[in-house]
Amino acid sequence: MAIRRFVMVGLVALLATGCSFWSTPTAEGTWTTPRTAWGDPDLQGVWRYEGAVPLERPKAFAGRESLTDEEIADRDRIEKEQAANRLAGLEGAAVGRRSIDESPIRGNEYNSFWQDHGRPRRVFRQTSLVVDPRDGLLPYTPEARKAETRAQARYGVGPYESYLDPDTGERCLTDGVTAMMWQGPNGGHNMIVQSPGYVTILHEEYRDRRIIPVNGGSHGAVRQWLGDSVGRWEGETLVVETTNVLDRTNYEWANIWTRASETLTIVERFTRVADDTIDYRITVDDPATFAQPWTANMPISRLPEGTRIYEYACHEGNYAMANLLSGGRAQPRAQASSK
Amino acid sequence: MRRTAMNHEDTKRTRSKKALRGLRRVVLASVGIGLAAAPLHAHHAFAAEFDANRPIKLRGTVVKMEWINPHTWIHIEVKQPNGRVEAWAIEGGPPNALFRRGFSRNSLPTGIEIVVEGFQAKDGSRRANGRDVTFGDGKRLFLGSSGTGAPRDGLDPTERR
Repeated sequence: MAIRRFVMVGLVALLATGCSFWSTPTAEGTWTTPRTAWGDPDLQGVWRYEGAVPLERPKAFAGRESLTDEEIADRDRIEKEQAANRLAGLEGAAVGRRSIDESPIRGNEYNSFWQDHGRPRRVFRQTSLVVDPRDGLLPYTPEARKAETRAQARYGVGPYESYLDPDTGERCLTDGVTAMMWQGPNGGHNMIVQSPGYVTILHEEYRDRRIIPVNGGSHGAVRQWLGDSVGRWEGETLVVETTNVLDRTNYEWANIWTRASETLTIVERFTRVADDTIDYRITVDDPATFAQPWTANMPISRLPEGTRIYEYACHEGNYAMANLLSGGRAQPRAQASSK
Repeated sequence: MRRTAMNHEDTKRTRSKKALRGLRRVVLASVGIGLAAAPLHAHHAFAAEFDANRPIKLRGTVVKMEWINPHTWIHIEVKQPNGRVEAWAIEGGPPNALFRRGFSRNSLPTGIEIVVEGFQAKDGSRRANGRDVTFGDGKRLFLGSSGTGAPRDGLDPTERR
């Protein structure tokens, strides 16, 4: 069963491996993939997704997979303006968020200051990270769409009656393996370290770690939060298949598309296409959430030599858990006393 | 209520001006292509912990700063008019984000007096989500958003635009 699913996801991943919208290797024709001392393609360094492309295609671009040159130039100018505004201490609409006057708190509470933005975001031709299905939208099942709507509505509202009610990120656990390579508002850096037979990825936020054997071995039998990843080299590309994920669908997730279930399978493809760029392609299949597999494609940028990953000992300072549980209890008290 | 209340009248007076300013910003940001951000919450949920209707402004002395994840916490002592000293804890941005913005261990030394603006915890305890910190010499350290309803005082960069 699992093998059949992998073959299917692998096939979809392969079919979705087309020409990238953004891939522009420098000095084309002369560049060769750097290699480790033992001969594998070298992916090592600290990496971060720095693009300004939304995961799903906005309605305004329905039916369009790519931007025009004018739109790219326009968007690039706006991104640069917003980055400068952010550095100047501006918030709200000036940095691409909701207007503060329209929404002083919601959407502006943990504003850009609270997040690790890194360098200004880059604009690419594609209108969504999702490249398959071709409409650029996540193919939720009707049930998952309802769950997503419910999750969005309860964020910050509750009920918060137990430590199980906040989402997995608020509990300092994880946001799941699906978005790890390209998200992390409090720490989106990923450090890749290789040794003979292994590729290790350290994600700054939550300090998620993945130790991936790349000798083509088989999956184990232990289910884990981040699943069980096995890799292999296909030419210059590292292909990582992940399965054996624990079912945590009964937990709250910041976004339903990142949730973990026993039927979740992921195929990732890492191809270094320039000194400073990895072409990253992820195909996600999970009948518990999606009606069909979906694929996202994006460039991941190498950060300058010496960029460090910092510790993210989230539980150490997770006062928020106590705060939101006591806040949850204070709310009914306040409502009762006002009656 | 023991907290030092903000001047709500000031807030009301500036609201219409801010609305105009905000509109200008919306128009500016909407020019070209509005590529909305991917749906992702920045943990944690403000509304679950703090009360947007309880803005506070505290003058106090720094006792310590906790450089911990997922958020830093500044501990201050606030002297009340009756001489009693209250301990407050103020939430700030995550350490890695602050550090990459140039904050250091020396940015908020123990013993200095600061003014903190923010929003109090929903449970009424002496904890708050920090917005801005102002030093004795008027220098300002932005812990969070400007323009969340705080009175205009000319120090906010958004007011100089």
